[in-house]
Amino acid sequence: MKNAVKKFVAMMLAGVMSFSLMACGSSGSGAASSEGAASSEKAGKNCTIGVAFYQDSGLATTAAKAYLDNMSDTLNCKFKYTVLSQTDEGVNLTKIQELIASGVDGIICTMDSGTAAIVQECEAADVYIGGYLCDYDISYTQAYDAVFKNDHFVGTAIDGYAPDNVIVGKQMFESLLEYNERNADAPITHVSLAIFPVWAFPAQTLAAQQFIAEVDEYNKTADVKITCDPLNEETDVLAFAPMDSTYFAKHEGIQAIMSFAAGTGFVYPVMVQTGNDKNIKLFTTGFDGGEEKNFGSAGTGTYQQNCVTAVESITYPLVLLLNKINGVEFKDQPEDAERVSCDQFIMNSDEDMTAFEKNIYFTANASDALFTPEDVLNMTAYANPDATYEQLKKACSTITIDSLK
Amino acid sequence: MFSKAFFKKHVYDIAAYAGLTATFILFLIFSGENLSYNVGTVLQAASAYAILSLGAVFVYSMGFMDVSIGQQIGVYSILMILISNKMGGTIAGVILSFVVILAIALVCGAFNGAVAVWLKLPSIVTSLFLMFFFTGAQLLLMESTGNNTISIEASIKPSSRTAYNWIILAAIVIVALVVTFLFNYTKLGKYTKAIGANEVVAAQSGINTTRWKVIAYMTFGVCVAIASFIMLMRTGTAGKGTGGGYAMDVMICLILGGMPLSGGMVSKVRSALIGTFTYVLLTNDLTTMGVELNYINFVKAIIFIIIILITCRKNNGVLPR
Repeated sequence: MKNAVKKFVAMMLAGVMSFSLMACGSSGSGAASSEGAASSEKAGKNCTIGVAFYQDSGLATTAAKAYLDNMSDTLNCKFKYTVLSQTDEGVNLTKIQELIASGVDGIICTMDSGTAAIVQECEAADVYIGGYLCDYDISYTQAYDAVFKNDHFVGTAIDGYAPDNVIVGKQMFESLLEYNERNADAPITHVSLAIFPVWAFPAQTLAAQQFIAEVDEYNKTADVKITCDPLNEETDVLAFAPMDSTYFAKHEGIQAIMSFAAGTGFVYPVMVQTGNDKNIKLFTTGFDGGEEKNFGSAGTGTYQQNCVTAVESITYPLVLLLNKINGVEFKDQPEDAERVSCDQFIMNSDEDMTAFEKNIYFTANASDALFTPEDVLNMTAYANPDATYEQLKKACSTITIDSLK
Repeated sequence: MFSKAFFKKHVYDIAAYAGLTATFILFLIFSGENLSYNVGTVLQAASAYAILSLGAVFVYSMGFMDVSIGQQIGVYSILMILISNKMGGTIAGVILSFVVILAIALVCGAFNGAVAVWLKLPSIVTSLFLMFFFTGAQLLLMESTGNNTISIEASIKPSSRTAYNWIILAAIVIVALVVTFLFNYTKLGKYTKAIGANEVVAAQSGINTTRWKVIAYMTFGVCVAIASFIMLMRTGTAGKGTGGGYAMDVMICLILGGMPLSGGMVSKVRSALIGTFTYVLLTNDLTTMGVELNYINFVKAIIFIIIILITCRKNNGVLPR
């Protein structure tokens, strides 16, 4: 009996601790408090928007939360966050249902997983939903009518380019040329590629093919030709696991790896393990934090290109959701929801990285964002009758590293 | 009635019910005006877990576990979509696809139960084999489609949310009643508990332990097939990651409900339902309360360890077998 009593006391104490933590969590999002509703009449209805991220941490998630929470008072909008499963459609539907049950008026969702069922659920609950950092290609190709034609789906801002509008391969090649111009005495003339499987990310295979085509075109007139190893199915297609160390034996003599897959997590660690981080350069999509220490002329100088999508592009679904919640639309609003390809921050030089380090993506400080809360409010149709869809689309899709300089 | 002896005897049950009650009270408070909607949400989210956990009672009561169910669910969902779509998205196609996965699930159950005995391996080893097998099969099937996710063409989900919720509820109730009957009133339940309590004694008492292990795993297989259908009915899609993590979730549900990992005579069917709804309500509460993302896993871990500390059966100060 004594032991049982001890167990209950332990349970009570730990329970108090747990719920104190929960309280901390709730009060921690002070910026999302409805008490600070904007005094401006333009601020629109008091509302709540749920944001379902694909991961619970990381630079992009932290920065997006800082960006949104800072706008809470001005937009008269609270934000609630949840994390989706990267594998299970059922769990994702449950997460969206939980957000709806918690009283949200709109949802920003970062994954295309079970979307038709999710949009159907949102429509039944009269909750609007938009996308961010996701091309919604599965829905676009398999369930266009159920998703993109649904009045409750407002569209998505893609992290990069839609699969039917791939230019990443071209951009990667331009980064390589830029490097070679800066290092004319020791240009990179032999490269290899890394991608994720085509069934998961078809756009990456297209980008790799585009890169190879750019190289071929360049070599027709170039004095110093560039060799690009053809894609090797065994080593170059990363099955969401770190690159195999035999990669370097298969691509002997390479001076750089052009990774369309997330190179920071899947390529760089293997380069370090095999000692290749000092003699091979890495051009890659993504930025997880810490790359700046070995970027350009810093450290080992392994990273020569990183690219990410601006956190500020979340403004696209946010404004469209706010319009819907406030019962207005842009005069030039397209009939079907769109997926908007977003330019990226492409860091090719020390100067680029210095500029990037001052942006909210890197600092997680809302005052470093390109758009102020007032800017975002002025993009809405209810606060600014002159605002247009095309202006919103342009503002969110054309943010580049030059925007930071 | 509430003597010291009573509390001592029922401390584990009290703890399990206390967990469920606490999460339910928070659910009532934080659901607010969306209570009726949220009831449906919990019901839908709990449906697959509840049916899986109910089936798993037979396996866990023997002191065994099956780590392959997540991957099995993934493959079954994909197969149902492929088969029914191939048959033009007809109801006949859906029925045929379910019969096919039911047959595979029964074979896998028999494999899990029998091979472990014949080769004298711990049952978890055979389920590990199946897990790897189904992981490979799931990836190959998805690669063959050339897509990340595929959708079922047949309409298997009622358009009315209310009707759908009633179907889900009916499915849980029917499976719970059948499992309760089998576990409490037939040889299957008595023998699986006896195997969990002491397999050697059970065998020396004349129980054909091999036979009942196979039957227990096959019964679980039926529940895995039903849960796969319930999941597919809900989302209408399946992909390379469908089902991932379900083996661990089912284990968590059963432990939260007071099921001892060592199995034995104290195993109860209600552990499955109590644990499932505690688990689903807890997750729901954390979202509706607006708990910070960074704290959610931490809070879950604390609550989980509290319940484990209370409900685990110690044997001379040693954690369960």
